[in-house]
Amino acid sequence: MAKLTLQIDGKTIETESGRTILEVCKENDIHILTMCHLKGITDVGACRLCLVEIEGVSKLLSACTTKIADKMVVRTDTEKIKRYQRITTELFAAERNHVCSVCIANGHCELQKLAYDVKMDHIRYPYLFPQCEVDTSHPLYVLDHNRCIVCTRCVRVCAEVEGAYNWDVMNRGTNVRVISDFNTPWGESVTCTDCGKCVEACPTGALWPKAVVQGQLNKAPQMISELIEKRKMKL
Amino acid sequence: MSKKKIATVWLGGCSGCHMSLLDIDERILEVAQLADIVKCPIVDGKEFPEVDIALVEGAITSDEHLKEILHIRKQSKILISLGDCAIMTNVTGMRNYFNLKDVLETSYVGSISNDDAGEMPNHWALLKLKDKVYPLQEIVEVDYSIPGCPPSADAIFYVLSELLNDRIPDLSEAKKMKHG
Repeated sequence: MAKLTLQIDGKTIETESGRTILEVCKENDIHILTMCHLKGITDVGACRLCLVEIEGVSKLLSACTTKIADKMVVRTDTEKIKRYQRITTELFAAERNHVCSVCIANGHCELQKLAYDVKMDHIRYPYLFPQCEVDTSHPLYVLDHNRCIVCTRCVRVCAEVEGAYNWDVMNRGTNVRVISDFNTPWGESVTCTDCGKCVEACPTGALWPKAVVQGQLNKAPQMISELIEKRKMKL
Repeated sequence: MSKKKIATVWLGGCSGCHMSLLDIDERILEVAQLADIVKCPIVDGKEFPEVDIALVEGAITSDEHLKEILHIRKQSKILISLGDCAIMTNVTGMRNYFNLKDVLETSYVGSISNDDAGEMPNHWALLKLKDKVYPLQEIVEVDYSIPGCPPSADAIFYVLSELLNDRIPDLSEAKKMKHG
């Protein structure tokens, strides 16, 4: 692979081509906020948290889906990016009903952690308060649309790792919903293998096991990444 | 230097934020050296006075709350949203997903724990609920927010002691801030 040189936050980095800005940043201890990214599965640039500034490019681009190029100059820590990250986080919180105090994921939630990272103390946008369904039809797991941020990690894990294709996405805008099969109750799914990878992959309290009580949820999304690595090794 | 005046208010919340305020324990003596608490939920009957700092717990759920918060804003130099209900309506706002009539009927008429005689409360002395519950910042200008359900006593004391010593509190660190 061809070697190329680029600059990220003033740091000169020499690496191989064909990789994303996010991969290179992670390798070089440059911290970038992410939400829809999960190591091992395809990046889609859905959450817009990893936006970076690239010299000569007028708009911000997502680090997870933008490939590096020779002599690229990238900035990940400007005031503009921080402002956008805070806006994105506030919009996540305002769009659905994220009531941390009664959420199963309270204290173990990636969205909550993100709110601390971007120093969010209140939300400047009007809350939408949508009426969202909670699907409890599955014998082991619950899907709570109130807490969903539509990162689609569950959709991608189900398709790419388990190969079951149970999850998909329906509608657009604020009506967007993650659906099981053809928008039927999860418990009636003919494709779901009950493996629970979507539950582990979910960053919030949108997918959770019934065996867990409020505030006791502890997910292990890195388990998905490890699983992918182990399968590659074909031991 | 004259003593500052503090007021605390309990709107649409569970009073848990006030419990957390009491959890500052003996540090309340430090607060009392610098300020007088001139109004709080256990001070009865007085009109909300002019104050330097108003700590407001709870969301705006009724016509009464709306009237109160508009008055409090006029009377206060610094208005602080105390806790998740004031900031994002929290549990009080969970009725916003439904229409008010359904909520009231479910609670007072159709509730499983009710006998057949369940009826809608209707008395002139009762406050009138608004269709939706609002966080404070959608109604009035808020100067500082202390999130949490409830906010930690340390965070409350930190904000109070900074303001009473004429400093600007910075809540941006996760150890002071708490969601849920």
